[in-house]
This record gives sequence, structure tokens and C-alpha cells, in this order.
Amino acid sequence: MVFNFKAQIRGVVQGADSLQTKPLKNVKITLLGAGTSVYSNEDGTFEILLGKQSPDTLLFTIKGYRSDRLVVTRSDRFAALNVVLVSGQLVREIVVSGGKDAHGISKMKTLHVEELTSAEFRKAACCNLSESFETNATVDVSMADAISGAKKIQLLGLDAVYTQLQFENIPFLRGLESAFGMSAIPGTWLESIQITKGTGSVVNGYESMAGLVNLEFKKPKDMPLMSLNAYQNRFGRTELNLQSGQRLSERWHMGLFASGAAVYGTFDHNHDGFRDQALSNTFNLLQRFSYQGPRMEAQLGLQAYADDKTGGQMSFSKQNPVGYGMGLQSQHISAFSKTGFFGKKPGQSLGVIANVKFQDLDGFYGLRHFTGKEKRAYLNVIYDDNIGNADHKIKAGASFLGLQLQQFAAQPDGAMVVGNTRTELVPGVFTEYTYSGNRLSAVIGARYDQHNIAGAQFSPRAHLKYALTPQLDLRATGGRAWRLPNYVADNLTLLASSKAWVAAPTLLPEISWNVGASLVQGFSFKKRKGSISLDAYHTRFSQQFVADRDSVSSLVIFKNLSDNSVATVLQAEFAYEVLRGLDLRLAYKFQDVRALYAGKLQNQVLLPRQRFFTNLAYQTRNKRWEYDLTYSRYSAVRLPHHGIGSPWALLNAQVTRSWKKTELYIGGENLLNFTQHHPIMGVDNPFGSDFDATEIWAPIMGWNVYFGLRYTLK
Amino acid sequence: MKKLLFFLFITLSTTLFAQKPALVKIQTNAQCGDCKDRIETALHQTKGVVYAELNMETKVVEVKYKVSKTDVATLQKVLNLAGYDADDQKADPTAQKALPLCCQPGGH
Repeated sequence: MVFNFKAQIRGVVQGADSLQTKPLKNVKITLLGAGTSVYSNEDGTFEILLGKQSPDTLLFTIKGYRSDRLVVTRSDRFAALNVVLVSGQLVREIVVSGGKDAHGISKMKTLHVEELTSAEFRKAACCNLSESFETNATVDVSMADAISGAKKIQLLGLDAVYTQLQFENIPFLRGLESAFGMSAIPGTWLESIQITKGTGSVVNGYESMAGLVNLEFKKPKDMPLMSLNAYQNRFGRTELNLQSGQRLSERWHMGLFASGAAVYGTFDHNHDGFRDQALSNTFNLLQRFSYQGPRMEAQLGLQAYADDKTGGQMSFSKQNPVGYGMGLQSQHISAFSKTGFFGKKPGQSLGVIANVKFQDLDGFYGLRHFTGKEKRAYLNVIYDDNIGNADHKIKAGASFLGLQLQQFAAQPDGAMVVGNTRTELVPGVFTEYTYSGNRLSAVIGARYDQHNIAGAQFSPRAHLKYALTPQLDLRATGGRAWRLPNYVADNLTLLASSKAWVAAPTLLPEISWNVGASLVQGFSFKKRKGSISLDAYHTRFSQQFVADRDSVSSLVIFKNLSDNSVATVLQAEFAYEVLRGLDLRLAYKFQDVRALYAGKLQNQVLLPRQRFFTNLAYQTRNKRWEYDLTYSRYSAVRLPHHGIGSPWALLNAQVTRSWKKTELYIGGENLLNFTQHHPIMGVDNPFGSDFDATEIWAPIMGWNVYFGLRYTLK
Repeated sequence: MKKLLFFLFITLSTTLFAQKPALVKIQTNAQCGDCKDRIETALHQTKGVVYAELNMETKVVEVKYKVSKTDVATLQKVLNLAGYDADDQKADPTAQKALPLCCQPGGH
């Protein structure tokens, strides 16, 4: 086939000036032969039309980085170019990379990655990680129980424990943090989130069964001297966030993050005698440093977190514990270090990631006390090199995880205790090969882990991307992942009920295979860009440890299932800039998640089978006003034993006004005022056998209005 | 709830359908992408500016503004104070010195 019309070259420009390379905006990209030039966008992407001359040379220039050249031909219209410019601070003779690659932003990656940037977080109330996903159709956010109000997220219809959550490539929010951790990360600390569907890269671990969510926090070098965020809503929740970035010397930068949040509003709108929201006080502190030297770079950090929650009946308070109450006290501290050393050859580097964490958790739902202690140490060493040229890359390395986890919980009578103390020691090795061609790119990797309880586990994974046309990308992925379940820590919120827990005596590892494919068609209509994407993912568990709430109505039975649980998720998404500055996103998702409950393959409880999502965002051309409207419609969920809930919809809206240093925002949540009428069952006798606050599928509180302020001092 | 939607409607319509603005083209001495950001942001933060867009090839910034709120001389002054020449008006020397290296005349 011969293309006679103009060939368009697409790509992304990134800057390597820390351990993370990140997209660079405003890079001047010149076609030397044709003499035309363009500038890269906010997200580092660019498009340039190739002239008559082919091959031609692209020149990339921007202040503070070394310029780079790349020869392109007409066949490159299929490729997604990735150019990494090296910071001028690095030694002159070292060039980290500069070639064709499929890595970069979402459209360029071999893996199906959805990127949420700080512009996206501004669309919602801000406040914590779980709320950051509310303007997005891929991740579902729901409440875990009606007493603590803890939020949980689901990806591909599976709980967050099946998704590997990581902070800048360090696994986190696992173990004791799984139940309540989603609200522990302030949204204003985040720079971006990458959501990968399907098994992730083997480099980061073995646990990404449904997907991988990576959080990038703000980097000290890019942080303003001071930024302040204050938030207030009508239900008595106040948050205050303070961040400061400082230059210590030419090579050292420091970033300080402090956050405090309090919920003090006492409400019982549904008159069931229970607080509609738990009272809480949360403090979170993070101090991080970055170092950029001639041959090495480093990121160091220290985080401390404390959370104190009180919920339950209106009569119950900490000072006067009358009736049914809920309490949670959680503290953790963690430290991380990431160091990168550049080799002499281009593309050659060695990265060392280390992380330690200590956590204490204590709490109760009525008579059911729970307690947990966690000590964790993690080390990951990654060697990166090119084979021949930058089209062939290899990564290899070794990791070690040491974990001591204590987890105990009481039965409804407050006496008998379930749980265990266990030590995990997991040495592992991995290797990953990346090929980046014009049309085809591939990432093929495998890891081998020797777990002291789960035994030897081998996880092969492959990801392919093929450009069918310059605008149409086909991706396919397949791989194995596994984890060792922590059934007490993972299911703490199920204690908000009088169902006793029965657990299988042996705890087998959970093992799954995930396969998936996606098609992304980019288009341009009336000079405005849009895209249509379709994807399908199927997760098949060869072993899963499930909570069966169907078999016996008075029990939660934790059992091992073999080859009896599957999750299939289909999603279609349409995005287009309808008018200048007005962006529309429409999405539809179908989730079929089944496991063997009460003798038959049944749908997962409390999970909507269908979801419709739409987001409308408008920004005036002078960037002073931003309007956002998000609507989600959920189908009815299945309840354990007794039928189904009802379909419901959520409407959120926000308006932001920006000045030079100040931004004000006002917004509303749940504007259709939908609430679940009886979120708690058996409220008349909370210590009786019918009590259950875990069958929650819609908001408890009605419409909400919030307002807030962001102030930045450069 | 109704009030809120009404409020949304009013703010949206006032920003979209204000009185007819005027368009002016001002020649600048921008040099790099950083300059483009600085010039557009400075103008966007000026009262009366509907939008500003700098063409990097010609270094001409196109500004749409409300005649009742501002005028061309004010816009030129804003550019001067941001460190850039605007048509025949020279940049403020102190502001120009404060610009990053690549934005300084001849620094690219």
C-alpha cells in the first residue's frame, strides 16, 4: 500500500532529570529539511507533518536540556516516537536515551495505561485518593460499610487488593492499609495517577492480578515555595493541606507535605439512630528530598500518618461509650529511598528502591474488636540496558520482601478470635524485554518468586501493541499474577455485622490469569481531537480466597475456590472536544464477576453489572473559569440472600475561578439527592443476630455542597 | 439544588455571551515556549482579556478583549511589565532581566 497523502509523525518528548522521566511541554520540534516547527503540548505530545523530503531530521530543543536529533521517514507515521531529553545538569557525555519507543503517555505505551493528571484532580472536590477516581469510568469507588464510611475502589470488577497499588513504583496500601487506606492519601499531594488494566510490568512485583495503579506525588523540584488548600463541606468536614518546595542547593531539593482533616458533623438524616458519617481526625506528614548529581540521582522520603475514627449510634462517643460504637486508631510511619546510577553507555542504568513500614491498627465494631501490626521491608534492584540500539531494551533485577503481619478480629459475641500472625519472606528475580518497532511494540517479561508459605511462583506476562493505521492502535495483554490473602486485614469492614466468620483452615495463595485486548481510535473532526476506545478484560482465578455471604445467612464463610471464579469486563469510551474548550467524555461499562457461592456461580454481591458515565468539562479560553459536570448511572446490585438493590445515579458539579495566585472552587455532590433508605439492617438491636451494616451500595447522605481555596506562592 | 443550577447557568451565560469584544494583534519579541506561557498567562490575568494566543512563528500575540474594560495601551503595558517588547513599546528592563535565560534577548 502506498500512502501519497501527508504523513503525520506523532510522539512524546520527555525530560530525564530525576529518577522519573516526565513529559516536557513547550519543546521546540523542528523538521530541518521541511523547515517547519511545532511545540510540544502540556503532556509532552506533539504532531508534525512530514514534508516531501524523506528521510528528514527532527530537532528537539528546550532550555535546560540537551538538544537531540532524530531521523524520521514516512514509515514512522505508525510509530509513537518517544524522545527523552537529558537534563543539562547531567554529565555531558552521557545520553540516557533518544530513540523510538512505545513508552510515554497513554497513547504511546505498549500497555493499556490511562493517565490522570493534576488537571483531572481539579475537577473534583480534591480531598483524598478515593475521591480522585470519581471523574473516571475505569475505577469504581464505593462505600465499604455504613458505619465507618470507609471508601473502597474496584478495578475490572475486582476489589483493590487484586490491583497492585504503588507509590512511585513502590508497592503500598497493602496489608493493614487495605481496608481504610484509600482515604489516607490527600488528593492535592498527587501529581498524576497511571491506571494499567491487566497484569502490570513484572518489574514492580507479582500482585497486579486485575491491574496496576501507580501514584506519582509532587516532586520537590517542581513544587512552589508554598501552596495551601482549604476545604469545607456542609456536613462538617474540614481539610487543610500545606505543601512547600525548597531548593537547598544546586543538587538538593526538599518537599514538605502536611495535611490535616477533621469530620465533626453529627447527622442522622435517615433517623436510624446511627451517625451517617463517622467522626474522624487525620494527620499526614511527608518530607521528601531529591538529589541530582552528575552520575547519580536519589529520592528519599519519610512519611507519618495517624487516624482516629469514631462512629456508630448517636448515643455513642469516646467519652461516653453507650450503645453500639465503632472506633479505629491507626498509625504508621514509612521511609523510602530510590537511587539511580547512570552507566557510561546510553540507556544503561541501575536503580535501587528500598522501603520500610511500621503500622499499628486497633479498633472495634460493637463488641468485635480488631487489631493488627505490620512490619515490612522491601528492596528492588533494577538494571536497565539497551541491546544494540534503543529499539531493544532489557531490564533485569531482583527483589526481596520481608513482612510480619499480625491480624486478629473478634466474633460477634466479642470473645472468640480469628486471625493469625505470619511472616513472609519473598526473594524474587525478574527480567523484561522491550521491543519498539515502527508498528509493533512488545513487552515480554517473567518473574520468579520463592515465597516461604506460597512456595515457588512463576509469573510470565506479555503485552503487545500494533498500529493498524496511524490512528488506530490494537493492544493485547496476557499474564499470571498471584498474592497471599490476608483475610482479616482485607475484610475488616465486614466486621460491621453480626455475621460470625468461619475461615478455611488452610490459606492457599490466590492465583489468576488475566487476558485482555483494546482498540483505541484517535480522530480529528473540525480540527478538534477525539478518541474512541473499546476494551475487554477477562480474569480467571485458578485459586481465589473468597468471602461467601450467601451460603449461610448468619455467617461469612472464607473459603478457597479452585477454578470457580471469573471476572469479565467490557468498556467503551468516547472522548471529544465538542466546542473549543468543551470536552465531553462518555463511557459504558459492563462487568460480569462471578464466583461459586451457595453452590452456584453467582454474581459478586454489591457490584453493579453496568455503569454509564459522562463528564462534561468546560474551560474559558482565558483559563479563569472551569466548569465540570460528572454523571454516573449504576445498575441494581445483587444483595446477599434477599434480592437486589435499585438502579441509582450520581451527579456532581464544580465551578472553579482562578486568579494569579488564588483559586476558589465550589461544588456539589450527589445533586440528584439519591440515598439508600435502610443502609443498616437490624438497627433496633445492633447486638442482635440481624444487624448488618455491610450491605451498602449507594450514598447514605444526600446532596452536599462544598467550597475550597487553593493559594500558591512561587 | 435548583438555585445551584440557576447559579451555574448565570455564570456560564455571562462568561459566554458578554458584549462583543475587539481583536488586536501585538508584535512581541518572544523566543521560546516558556515565553509563550508567560505572555499568555500575563494577558489572561489582565482584566478584560477574553483570550490571548501567541503565534510562535511570527511572535505576534492575538488578544481578544472587552473594549469597556481595557485598551491596547494597557495590554502593551502588561507585556512590557512581563519583560517583553510590545509593538514599539520597549520591555521594562527590570522585568526583562528577571526572565529565565532562554527568554532574554539573544538567549535562545
